[in-house]
Amino acid sequence: MTHLFGVLSTGTSALLTQQRAINLTGNNIANVNTPGYSRQRIRLETATPVGTAAGLMSFGVVSRGIERVYDRYLGIQINAEASRSGRWEAQQAALERTEALLDESGGGGIAAALGGFFGSWQDLVLKPGGEVERTVAVAASARLAEAVRSRYADLERMRRELDADLESAIEQVNRLALQVSELNRQIARVELGGETANDYRDRRDWVLKELAGLIDIQTSEAADGQVSVSVSGGRPLVESGNTWALRVEPGADGHGRIFWPDLDGALTDITASVRGGRVGGVLAVRDERLVAYRERIDEIARGLLAEVNAVHAAGFGLEGTTGTDLFVGSGAADLRLNPEVAEHPGLLAASASAEGIPGNAGNALRLLSLRDTPLLRGGTATFEEAAQGLVSLIGFDVQQARAQAQHTSDMLGFLENHREAVSGVSLDEEMVNLIRYQAAYQAAAKLVSLADEMLDALMTMVR
Amino acid sequence: MRITHNMMARMFTGVLRRQTLAMIVQQERIATQKRISRPSDDPAGAARVLSGRGLLSGLEKYASGIQQGKSRLEFNEETLKLLGDLVRQARRTAEEKSAGGVSAAERALAATTVREIADQVLQLANTRFHGEYVFGGDRRDVAPFVRDGEGRVTYRGAGGAFLIPLPGGAPIAVDADGRNYFQNEAAGGVDLFAELDHLIAGLENPDLEEGTAWIRATLDPLERAEVQLRNKRAEAAPQAYRLQATEEHLTRLRATVQAAIGRDEDADVAQAIVELKSLQVAYESTLAAASQILRPSLVDFLR
Repeated sequence: MTHLFGVLSTGTSALLTQQRAINLTGNNIANVNTPGYSRQRIRLETATPVGTAAGLMSFGVVSRGIERVYDRYLGIQINAEASRSGRWEAQQAALERTEALLDESGGGGIAAALGGFFGSWQDLVLKPGGEVERTVAVAASARLAEAVRSRYADLERMRRELDADLESAIEQVNRLALQVSELNRQIARVELGGETANDYRDRRDWVLKELAGLIDIQTSEAADGQVSVSVSGGRPLVESGNTWALRVEPGADGHGRIFWPDLDGALTDITASVRGGRVGGVLAVRDERLVAYRERIDEIARGLLAEVNAVHAAGFGLEGTTGTDLFVGSGAADLRLNPEVAEHPGLLAASASAEGIPGNAGNALRLLSLRDTPLLRGGTATFEEAAQGLVSLIGFDVQQARAQAQHTSDMLGFLENHREAVSGVSLDEEMVNLIRYQAAYQAAAKLVSLADEMLDALMTMVR
Repeated sequence: MRITHNMMARMFTGVLRRQTLAMIVQQERIATQKRISRPSDDPAGAARVLSGRGLLSGLEKYASGIQQGKSRLEFNEETLKLLGDLVRQARRTAEEKSAGGVSAAERALAATTVREIADQVLQLANTRFHGEYVFGGDRRDVAPFVRDGEGRVTYRGAGGAFLIPLPGGAPIAVDADGRNYFQNEAAGGVDLFAELDHLIAGLENPDLEEGTAWIRATLDPLERAEVQLRNKRAEAAPQAYRLQATEEHLTRLRATVQAAIGRDEDADVAQAIVELKSLQVAYESTLAAASQILRPSLVDFLR
C-alpha cells in the first residue's frame, strides 16, 4: 500500500473529512442562537491501519460519526427546576391579578365600607330619629353588603379565569406530549441504523423542558432511545409512540378538574397530585389561596349576619318594630341589606326600648360598640382588623410568590448557563476550529497536488 | 468552564431586566409619592395603613359628634340661662307685688307680665335644636310640655338623655328629661309652670289680702325652681369639660395617626431620586459594557 496512490487516497480522505468538519462547524455557527441546540462534534479517527513492509500503518482519516455534546443529568435537573419555576411564575401572576382585584388602597374595599357603616351608626347615636341619618345609615349598610358581596364575586370570577388558564395549559400539555411521541418515533427510526439522532434529541429535550414548565413530569429513557413521560406519580403521558390525552372536566363546584384516561378510557381525577409547573401554580392559587381569601370574606359576612343582626334585632325601629334583621343572606355570596329596611329606613333599630322611640340611641350605641369588639378570627380580630388581615395576607402571598419565582428562575438560569457551558456554541471556538479545519484542508490539497506532481514525474519517466 | 456568547447575552439581559424593574419601582414611588402602592410592597405596612385609615375615619366621626355635642351643651346653657333670668324676673315681681300698698291695677299689669314670662318659659321648655325637642327625653318628635284642658301644663315627653359617643368609653349623657328641669315634684322638685300659674292667680285675685298670701307662697318655690335650673346648668359644666378634653385629645391623636400612616405609606422622594440616579448609572454602565463586550468576537479579527 505504500504506493503513490496511497498518498492520493490519504489526501482524499483528509480533504473529505476536513470538509465534513467544516460543514459541521458551519452548522454549529448557524445554530448558535437556536434554543435547545447542542453543539456537535465530529469524531475523527485514523483509518484502519494496514500492514506494510515498514509495519502497521494507517492511510488517512475517517469520521466515526457526529456526536452532540451534552450532559444528560443536567437535562433532568433543568426539567425539575423548570417545573418549580413554572409553578411559581404562574402563582405570582395569578396572585398579582388577585391583589389588584382586592386593592383597598384606593379606599374602595371592605375595610373602608366597614368604617363607613360604623360611622353611620355613630351619627345615629347622636340623632336616632333623624331622617337624613337613617338614610345615610341605610346607604352605608347597603354599601357594606355590596362591598362584601362583590369582593367575594371577584374572587369567584378570578377562579373562573384560572379555569380558562388551566384548560389552555392542559391543551398545551397534550400538544407537547404528542410532539414527544412523534420525536420518540423519529429517534427510534434513526438510531435503529446505528446513528445518533442529535437534532431530534435536542428538539425532544427542548419539548420536555417546555412540558416540565407546564406540569411536573417524570421521564425515563429506554434502551431504544425512546423517552416515557409520566405525570402524577407514575401515570403515563407518553410511552414510546403512544400518548394519553389529559382532560379537563368541571368538578362538583363547577371548576375544571384534570382527568387522566386509562386504556379503557376510564377517567381518574389527578388534580390533587399535580403540584408543579404552570398547572400546579394555577391549581395552588385557585384551590388553596383564593379559597382561603374567600373564607376570610365569608367570615366577615357571617359575623355581620350573626353579631350585627343579633344586636339589631334586639332593638326597636321608629314604628316600634323589633326583631328586624339588618342583613339577610347565608354568607358573603348573597349578603344583602334587608330589603324591607332598604325600603323603610325607619326600621333601623336605634332604640333600646319600645318606650324610647324615637330619641333613644341605646341600641345604636350597642351596635357601634361592635366596631371595637374582637368577634372574628376566633375572637382575636374586630371586623375591620379581619378585613385588614385579608389585605396583608394577600400581600404576603404575593411577596412570597414573587420571591420564589425569582429564586427558581435564578436557579433555572444557573442550570441553563451550565448547560450552555457544556452544550452551547461558542463562536470563538468554532472560528478556531474553522481555521484548524481550513488549514488541514489546505494541507491535504497540497498533499493531493504533491501526489499529482509525483505521478506526473513518474509518467514522464515512462515517456 | 466554557463561556459562550449566549451566556454573556443571557447574563446581560438578566441584569438589564432586573435593573429596569428596580428603576420602575423607584419611578413609581416618585410618581405616586407612595412607598406602598399595593399590599405586596409591604404587607404589614399596608395593613397598618388600612388600620390607621379606619381609626382616622372613626376619630373624625367622634370629633364631629363632639362638635355637635358641644353646640348642644352651649345651646342648653343659653336656654337655661335665659330661663333662670325669667324665673328671677318673676320672683322679683312676686316680691315687689306682695308688699303692702300695691294697687289692684298694678297687680293686674304685673299679672300680664308674668303671663308673658310663663308663655316664654313654656316656649323655651319646648325649644328645639336641629329639629328635635331638647327637653322631651327620648320623645324628641313632639312638644314635651302642653297645657291641658284645665290650663295645667303637663309633660308628654319621656325619660332619656342625649348621648354623645366618645372613643373607648361610656358616652356622655346630657339629661333630656324635661321633668328634671321644670317639674318632678315627686323627687322634691318644683313645678315651675304651676308656680307661675299660682303667681298669676295671686296677682289677679280681687281679694288683695288673699292675693298677697298666694303671691308670697310662690316666693320660696320660685327660688327653688331657679336653683333647680342652676343645678342643671352646673351639671353640664363637667360634661363640657370632658368634651373639650376629649376633643383636644382627638386632635392630637389624629395628628399622630396621620403621621404614622405617612411614615408607612409615603415615599421618601429624595431617597427614591437618589436611588433612581444610582440605578441609572448602573444601567447605563451595563449597557455600555454590553455593547463593548458583546460586539467583538474572533470574527472581527479574521481577515
